[in-house]
Amino acid sequence: MIPLNWYLILSSTLFTIGLVGFIVRKDLIVMLMCLEIMFNAVNISFASFSYYNASLTGQIFVLFSIAVAACETAIGLAIVLALVRNMRINHSDEITNLRG
Amino acid sequence: MNPPIIEQIFFIYFFISLSFLSLSVIISKNIMHSTFFLLIFLLHVAALFLFLNAEFLMVIQIIVYVGGVLALFVFAIMVMNIKEEFRHKKFVKFAGAGLITGFLFFIGIYLFIKGAKTPQETLPPVDVNLIGRLLYSYYLLPFEILSLVLLVALVGGIIIAKKLPREER
Repeated sequence: MIPLNWYLILSSTLFTIGLVGFIVRKDLIVMLMCLEIMFNAVNISFASFSYYNASLTGQIFVLFSIAVAACETAIGLAIVLALVRNMRINHSDEITNLRG
Repeated sequence: MNPPIIEQIFFIYFFISLSFLSLSVIISKNIMHSTFFLLIFLLHVAALFLFLNAEFLMVIQIIVYVGGVLALFVFAIMVMNIKEEFRHKKFVKFAGAGLITGFLFFIGIYLFIKGAKTPQETLPPVDVNLIGRLLYSYYLLPFEILSLVLLVALVGGIIIAKKLPREER
Protein backbone atom coordinates (compact mmCIF):
# COMPACT_ATOMS: atom_id res chain seq x y z
CA MET A 1 0.00 0.00 0.00
CA ILE A 2 1.20 3.48 -0.78
CA PRO A 3 1.66 5.64 2.32
CA LEU A 4 -0.30 8.85 2.68
CA ASN A 5 2.96 10.78 2.79
CA TRP A 6 3.77 10.05 -0.82
CA TYR A 7 0.54 11.56 -2.06
CA LEU A 8 1.05 14.63 0.09
CA ILE A 9 4.60 15.09 -1.16
CA LEU A 10 3.41 14.70 -4.76
CA SER A 11 0.67 17.25 -4.16
CA SER A 12 3.00 19.77 -2.54
CA THR A 13 5.58 19.34 -5.30
CA LEU A 14 3.01 20.04 -7.99
CA PHE A 15 1.63 22.99 -6.06
CA THR A 16 5.11 24.46 -5.69
CA ILE A 17 5.83 24.04 -9.41
CA GLY A 18 2.55 25.76 -10.24
CA LEU A 19 3.25 28.59 -7.81
CA VAL A 20 6.74 29.20 -9.16
CA GLY A 21 5.40 29.13 -12.71
CA PHE A 22 2.70 31.63 -11.81
CA ILE A 23 5.27 33.99 -10.36
CA VAL A 24 7.92 33.52 -13.01
CA ARG A 25 6.09 33.52 -16.33
CA LYS A 26 4.95 36.66 -18.10
CA ASP A 27 2.46 35.19 -20.50
CA LEU A 28 -1.10 35.49 -19.21
CA ILE A 29 -2.37 32.21 -20.66
CA VAL A 30 0.53 30.24 -19.23
CA MET A 31 -0.19 31.86 -15.87
CA LEU A 32 -3.74 30.51 -16.09
CA MET A 33 -2.33 27.08 -16.93
CA CYS A 34 -0.21 27.25 -13.78
CA LEU A 35 -3.41 27.96 -11.86
CA GLU A 36 -4.83 24.75 -13.30
CA ILE A 37 -1.74 22.86 -12.12
CA MET A 38 -2.23 24.22 -8.61
CA PHE A 39 -5.92 23.24 -8.62
CA ASN A 40 -5.01 19.72 -9.66
CA ALA A 41 -2.42 19.41 -6.92
CA VAL A 42 -5.00 20.35 -4.30
CA ASN A 43 -7.49 17.93 -5.84
CA ILE A 44 -4.98 15.09 -5.51
CA SER A 45 -4.52 15.82 -1.83
CA PHE A 46 -8.31 16.04 -1.29
CA ALA A 47 -8.83 12.67 -2.96
CA SER A 48 -6.01 11.04 -1.02
CA PHE A 49 -7.43 12.31 2.28
CA SER A 50 -10.81 10.94 1.23
CA TYR A 51 -9.23 7.56 0.51
CA TYR A 52 -7.26 7.29 3.73
CA ASN A 53 -10.08 8.55 5.93
CA ALA A 54 -12.60 6.13 4.38
CA SER A 55 -15.01 9.00 3.79
CA LEU A 56 -16.62 10.31 0.63
CA THR A 57 -16.64 13.97 1.61
CA GLY A 58 -13.25 14.60 0.03
CA GLN A 59 -14.45 13.42 -3.33
CA ILE A 60 -17.45 15.74 -3.20
CA PHE A 61 -15.14 18.62 -2.39
CA VAL A 62 -13.05 17.71 -5.42
CA LEU A 63 -16.23 17.89 -7.48
CA PHE A 64 -16.95 21.41 -6.18
CA SER A 65 -13.36 22.43 -6.71
CA ILE A 66 -13.39 21.24 -10.32
CA ALA A 67 -16.55 23.24 -11.01
CA VAL A 68 -15.08 26.37 -9.44
CA ALA A 69 -11.88 25.85 -11.45
CA ALA A 70 -13.89 25.69 -14.65
CA CYS A 71 -15.65 28.96 -13.76
CA GLU A 72 -12.36 30.60 -12.88
CA THR A 73 -10.76 29.54 -16.15
CA ALA A 74 -13.69 30.82 -18.17
CA ILE A 75 -13.62 34.22 -16.45
CA GLY A 76 -9.83 34.47 -16.63
CA LEU A 77 -9.72 33.66 -20.31
CA ALA A 78 -12.50 36.18 -20.90
CA ILE A 79 -10.43 38.85 -19.17
CA VAL A 80 -7.33 37.93 -21.17
CA LEU A 81 -9.36 37.94 -24.36
CA ALA A 82 -10.76 41.39 -23.54
CA LEU A 83 -7.25 42.69 -22.87
CA VAL A 84 -5.92 41.28 -26.13
CA ARG A 85 -8.80 42.54 -28.19
CA ASN A 86 -9.18 46.02 -26.79
CA MET A 87 -5.65 46.98 -25.83
CA ARG A 88 -3.35 44.51 -27.60
CA ILE A 89 -1.91 43.37 -24.29
CA ASN A 90 -0.74 39.80 -23.83
CA HIS A 91 1.76 39.95 -20.98
CA SER A 92 1.39 40.62 -17.32
CA ASP A 93 3.96 43.42 -17.17
CA GLU A 94 2.07 45.51 -19.73
CA ILE A 95 -1.08 45.91 -17.68
CA THR A 96 -0.39 49.38 -16.40
CA ASN A 97 -3.58 51.19 -17.23
CA LEU A 98 -5.97 50.99 -14.31
CA ARG A 99 -8.61 53.38 -15.56
CA GLY A 100 -9.39 51.39 -18.67
CA MET B 1 6.55 -9.70 -7.24
CA ASN B 2 3.57 -8.94 -5.05
CA PRO B 3 0.98 -6.30 -5.96
CA PRO B 4 2.09 -3.54 -3.53
CA ILE B 5 5.48 -3.33 -5.23
CA ILE B 6 3.81 -2.90 -8.61
CA GLU B 7 1.56 -0.22 -7.15
CA GLN B 8 4.58 1.65 -5.83
CA ILE B 9 6.39 1.41 -9.15
CA PHE B 10 3.38 2.89 -10.89
CA PHE B 11 3.13 5.62 -8.29
CA ILE B 12 6.78 6.56 -8.78
CA TYR B 13 6.24 6.67 -12.53
CA PHE B 14 3.30 9.03 -12.05
CA PHE B 15 5.30 11.18 -9.64
CA ILE B 16 8.17 11.63 -12.08
CA SER B 17 6.03 12.17 -15.14
CA LEU B 18 3.68 14.64 -13.40
CA SER B 19 6.64 16.68 -12.18
CA PHE B 20 8.28 16.74 -15.60
CA LEU B 21 5.03 17.55 -17.40
CA SER B 22 4.22 20.45 -15.11
CA LEU B 23 7.78 21.74 -15.44
CA SER B 24 7.59 21.55 -19.20
CA VAL B 25 4.30 23.47 -19.17
CA ILE B 26 6.26 26.32 -17.63
CA ILE B 27 9.48 25.99 -19.58
CA SER B 28 8.33 25.31 -23.13
CA LYS B 29 8.62 28.20 -25.58
CA ASN B 30 5.62 27.61 -27.77
CA ILE B 31 2.30 28.20 -26.04
CA MET B 32 0.64 25.40 -28.01
CA HIS B 33 3.25 22.98 -26.67
CA SER B 34 2.43 24.00 -23.11
CA THR B 35 -1.24 23.33 -23.82
CA PHE B 36 -0.33 19.88 -25.08
CA PHE B 37 1.77 19.17 -21.99
CA LEU B 38 -1.13 20.35 -19.84
CA LEU B 39 -3.38 17.86 -21.64
CA ILE B 40 -1.08 14.96 -20.78
CA PHE B 41 -0.73 16.30 -17.23
CA LEU B 42 -4.50 16.30 -16.73
CA LEU B 43 -4.81 12.77 -18.10
CA HIS B 44 -2.14 11.61 -15.67
CA VAL B 45 -3.98 13.22 -12.77
CA ALA B 46 -7.13 11.43 -13.93
CA ALA B 47 -5.23 8.16 -13.85
CA LEU B 48 -3.95 8.95 -10.39
CA PHE B 49 -7.54 9.24 -9.17
CA LEU B 50 -7.97 5.57 -10.04
CA PHE B 51 -5.42 4.68 -7.37
CA LEU B 52 -7.66 6.36 -4.83
CA ASN B 53 -10.86 4.46 -5.70
CA ALA B 54 -12.37 7.60 -7.20
CA GLU B 55 -13.63 6.44 -10.58
CA PHE B 56 -16.31 9.12 -10.70
CA LEU B 57 -13.68 11.81 -10.23
CA MET B 58 -11.63 10.34 -13.06
CA VAL B 59 -14.58 10.62 -15.42
CA ILE B 60 -15.38 14.14 -14.24
CA GLN B 61 -11.75 15.16 -14.60
CA ILE B 62 -11.59 13.95 -18.18
CA ILE B 63 -14.95 15.46 -19.14
CA VAL B 64 -14.57 18.86 -17.49
CA TYR B 65 -10.84 19.51 -17.77
CA VAL B 66 -9.86 17.79 -20.98
CA GLY B 67 -13.15 18.35 -22.73
CA GLY B 68 -14.02 21.79 -21.39
CA VAL B 69 -11.15 23.77 -19.95
CA LEU B 70 -8.51 22.63 -22.41
CA ALA B 71 -10.80 23.25 -25.38
CA LEU B 72 -11.35 26.73 -23.95
CA PHE B 73 -7.60 27.30 -23.80
CA VAL B 74 -7.14 26.13 -27.38
CA PHE B 75 -9.95 28.37 -28.60
CA ALA B 76 -8.56 31.36 -26.72
CA ILE B 77 -5.11 30.80 -28.22
CA MET B 78 -6.68 30.43 -31.63
CA VAL B 79 -8.65 33.67 -31.33
CA MET B 80 -5.65 35.67 -30.12
CA ASN B 81 -2.73 36.64 -32.25
CA ILE B 82 0.32 34.93 -30.79
CA LYS B 83 2.84 36.02 -33.38
CA GLU B 84 4.17 38.78 -31.17
CA GLU B 85 5.03 36.13 -28.63
CA PHE B 86 8.62 35.78 -29.67
CA ARG B 87 9.65 39.38 -29.24
CA HIS B 88 9.00 39.28 -25.53
CA LYS B 89 11.04 37.67 -22.84
CA LYS B 90 9.42 34.65 -21.28
CA PHE B 91 10.34 35.20 -17.65
CA VAL B 92 10.06 38.19 -15.38
CA LYS B 93 13.11 40.02 -14.11
CA PHE B 94 12.86 38.73 -10.54
CA ALA B 95 12.61 35.07 -11.52
CA GLY B 96 15.21 34.09 -8.92
CA ALA B 97 13.04 35.57 -6.18
CA GLY B 98 10.16 33.42 -7.42
CA LEU B 99 12.34 30.32 -7.25
CA ILE B 100 13.42 31.15 -3.70
CA THR B 101 9.80 31.73 -2.70
CA GLY B 102 8.78 28.37 -4.11
CA PHE B 103 11.66 26.61 -2.40
CA LEU B 104 10.80 28.12 1.00
CA PHE B 105 7.14 27.26 0.46
CA PHE B 106 8.01 23.65 -0.32
CA ILE B 107 10.24 23.39 2.75
CA GLY B 108 7.43 24.74 4.94
CA ILE B 109 4.83 22.34 3.55
CA TYR B 110 7.24 19.44 3.81
CA LEU B 111 7.89 20.16 7.48
CA PHE B 112 4.13 20.30 7.98
CA ILE B 113 3.26 17.00 6.29
CA LYS B 114 6.33 15.07 7.40
CA GLY B 115 4.64 13.34 10.32
CA ALA B 116 1.46 12.28 8.52
CA LYS B 117 0.41 8.83 9.62
CA THR B 118 -1.17 6.33 7.28
CA PRO B 119 -4.36 4.85 8.74
CA GLN B 120 -5.04 1.15 8.40
CA GLU B 121 -8.56 1.28 7.03
CA THR B 122 -9.01 2.82 3.61
CA LEU B 123 -11.95 3.60 1.39
CA PRO B 124 -13.47 0.42 -0.04
CA PRO B 125 -14.48 0.40 -3.72
CA VAL B 126 -17.66 2.45 -3.69
CA ASP B 127 -20.54 2.92 -6.06
CA VAL B 128 -21.25 6.25 -7.72
CA ASN B 129 -24.69 5.81 -6.20
CA LEU B 130 -23.31 6.71 -2.76
CA ILE B 131 -21.70 9.92 -4.01
CA GLY B 132 -24.98 10.93 -5.62
CA ARG B 133 -26.91 10.27 -2.43
CA LEU B 134 -24.47 12.30 -0.36
CA LEU B 135 -24.44 15.10 -2.92
CA TYR B 136 -28.22 15.41 -3.05
CA SER B 137 -28.91 15.07 0.67
CA TYR B 138 -26.23 16.57 2.86
CA TYR B 139 -24.50 18.78 0.29
CA LEU B 140 -27.64 19.95 -1.46
CA LEU B 141 -27.29 23.65 -0.64
CA PRO B 142 -23.65 23.94 -1.81
CA PHE B 143 -24.63 22.08 -4.96
CA GLU B 144 -27.38 24.57 -5.73
CA ILE B 145 -25.10 27.51 -4.98
CA LEU B 146 -22.57 25.95 -7.34
CA SER B 147 -25.12 25.92 -10.15
CA LEU B 148 -25.73 29.62 -9.52
CA VAL B 149 -21.99 30.27 -9.62
CA LEU B 150 -21.74 28.50 -12.96
CA LEU B 151 -24.57 30.59 -14.36
CA VAL B 152 -22.95 33.83 -13.18
CA ALA B 153 -19.61 32.76 -14.63
CA LEU B 154 -21.25 32.00 -17.97
CA VAL B 155 -22.99 35.38 -18.20
CA GLY B 156 -19.96 37.25 -16.87
CA GLY B 157 -17.60 35.59 -19.31
CA ILE B 158 -19.75 36.59 -22.24
CA ILE B 159 -20.11 40.17 -20.99
CA ILE B 160 -16.40 40.62 -20.30
CA ALA B 161 -15.16 39.11 -23.54
CA LYS B 162 -17.50 41.21 -25.65
CA LYS B 163 -15.83 43.64 -28.00
CA LEU B 164 -16.08 47.20 -26.76
CA PRO B 165 -17.38 49.90 -29.07
CA ARG B 166 -14.66 52.16 -30.36
CA GLU B 167 -15.38 55.26 -28.26
CA GLU B 168 -15.11 53.37 -24.97
CA ARG B 169 -11.59 52.09 -25.51
